[in-house]
Amino acid sequence: MRFPTFGPTLYGLALVMVVLGVATPFLPIIVKVQLINFLLFVGLAYALNFMTGLTGYVSFGHAVFMGIGAYALGGGIDRLGFPPLLGVILGAGLGAAFAVGIGLVTLRFRGVYFAITTLVVFLAAKNIVPEISELGGGSGIFMNLGFQPLAEFYTIWTIVVLEIGLTYWVTHGRLGYGLRAIKSDEDAAKTVGVNASRLKLILFGISGMFAGATGAVYAWTLSAVLPDTGFDITYSLRMLAMIIIGGAGTLLGPFLGAVIVYVPYNYFQTVQSLLGLQLAVIGALVLLIALFIPTGIVGTVRRYVPTLRRYVE
Amino acid sequence: MADLGLVVADLVVGLMLGCVFAVIAHGLNVIWGVTKVVNVAHGEFIMLGAYGAYYLNVYLGFNPVLSVPVDAAIGIGVGFLFYFGLLHRELRGKDTITRETEMVTLVATFGLSLILSNAALAIFKGDAVGIRWAPETLAAGPVHVPLGGLYVAISSVAIIAISDLFLSRTYLGNAIRAYSQDIGAAQLMGINPTRIAAIATAIGFALTMAGGALLTVWLPVGITPLIGATYAPISFVIVVLGGPGKMWGSLLGGLTLGILIDVLPAFGISASIAVAVAFLVLIPVLLFAREGILR
Repeated sequence: MRFPTFGPTLYGLALVMVVLGVATPFLPIIVKVQLINFLLFVGLAYALNFMTGLTGYVSFGHAVFMGIGAYALGGGIDRLGFPPLLGVILGAGLGAAFAVGIGLVTLRFRGVYFAITTLVVFLAAKNIVPEISELGGGSGIFMNLGFQPLAEFYTIWTIVVLEIGLTYWVTHGRLGYGLRAIKSDEDAAKTVGVNASRLKLILFGISGMFAGATGAVYAWTLSAVLPDTGFDITYSLRMLAMIIIGGAGTLLGPFLGAVIVYVPYNYFQTVQSLLGLQLAVIGALVLLIALFIPTGIVGTVRRYVPTLRRYVE
Repeated sequence: MADLGLVVADLVVGLMLGCVFAVIAHGLNVIWGVTKVVNVAHGEFIMLGAYGAYYLNVYLGFNPVLSVPVDAAIGIGVGFLFYFGLLHRELRGKDTITRETEMVTLVATFGLSLILSNAALAIFKGDAVGIRWAPETLAAGPVHVPLGGLYVAISSVAIIAISDLFLSRTYLGNAIRAYSQDIGAAQLMGINPTRIAAIATAIGFALTMAGGALLTVWLPVGITPLIGATYAPISFVIVVLGGPGKMWGSLLGGLTLGILIDVLPAFGISASIAVAVAFLVLIPVLLFAREGILR
């Protein structure tokens, strides 16, 4: 058996995660909160990366799985008396289950039609959930969890570590060949024996699972689940922006994209004149990247800067 | 069983609402049908059309129906700008629109929609505004027909009928249809593809912004920079329901949505479930009639 050699990208990401994991308990509370929010962005970026990044199927409605995860946490804590961690696991499970169920139907559509269907599913869920009185109706569920920064941090940290590991495994293993084949030409991939429908469904399930788990942690940080915060389209849009900017389908891209989207998001909120312009700036970045370097930062570095290529595997 | 008078009243309102939906989706239909590009920022241009009508009302006292031609003229300029600024470098010299081009334009217009909606939020502020324009109401039993809505419905059907006639009866319209069917063959017939695609995009934008102006009748106090996020998905669903590039498809899709949203509540289904149903109708239609309901 050959001992696996990991590329420098994975070592680099692992180093960042270990440093974050060791250092966080000693950091001031404000930094802890910012790190939790940052890792929520990273978690969402990797979650969407499994689907949109690896298969090329653009999803505008991924926040629906965040909402499902959030409501799973709220329902689990409020109705079943779960501890938060179990609620997050329930969120992941329900996210995966709904993703597979929705994917069975919507993954039959390709390209723009898939993108529009995801948006439609999101909007339908956003309209249906406030009508369900078991889920608190329009006023949502309040959980009174108190402030638990370290528990929240290590939960989202674990989710991100799992996502990075799984992304590496998927992109560098046999599964990755099939996925790259689907991304460049689905019909040709089917001809050479790639089971495209099954692969897409698996990836959509993984993607929904992580989006559900991250959504549950997000609800945990708010200590409440409201229809508006659970099903928030701007998170769909941010997720998409992050992986487009960083480089869809790569190992490093979502992390990089999360840094680029989160820093202005966080900074602009502190400057009065820039308040509200964060998404406009992100939109400008997305527009420029889509037109001029459609493979994102990582893809472009790989292509044009050979000396750095091995660091962005 | 629901009260019949109530159902008829809701049906009338639903039909009128459907006509508005049809006209705001119509521009997307033209652009999608001809250039095969899905403009994700469509909702933001509806929003700009609505603000155009609002400012025409504030400064010049125009009513929404009067501001339609002005908005359309602005839309033509915006359309050329959009085509040459964004689409041209993707469509230039291509005989078939590949999935890659489709995805690049999808993501690029997604970026554009983020820019426009958030810039509009910074410029117009978040407060809802509206146009005070309320012509009389026609009453017949339980059915009250607001004249404003009726004018809008008539304008909407007229716009769709004219665009259908334009595409089927004029030389330019035929050239546009030829381009939408086969770019290579159209070029062999001496059609300049850039010119046709640019003109079709400009027409699409004129229709979109005119639709935004007509929409203001239905939003007496509800024009905000974020209405794009509400009306863009409605437009996508309508165009897919009718089939991209089929002019009467806009009306069919719009009426389907309008009737579902307004008539289902008469049968005791809550309004937001009705909206959810109206959106989800898309999925069976896509499963069983990929090209849209209209043949």
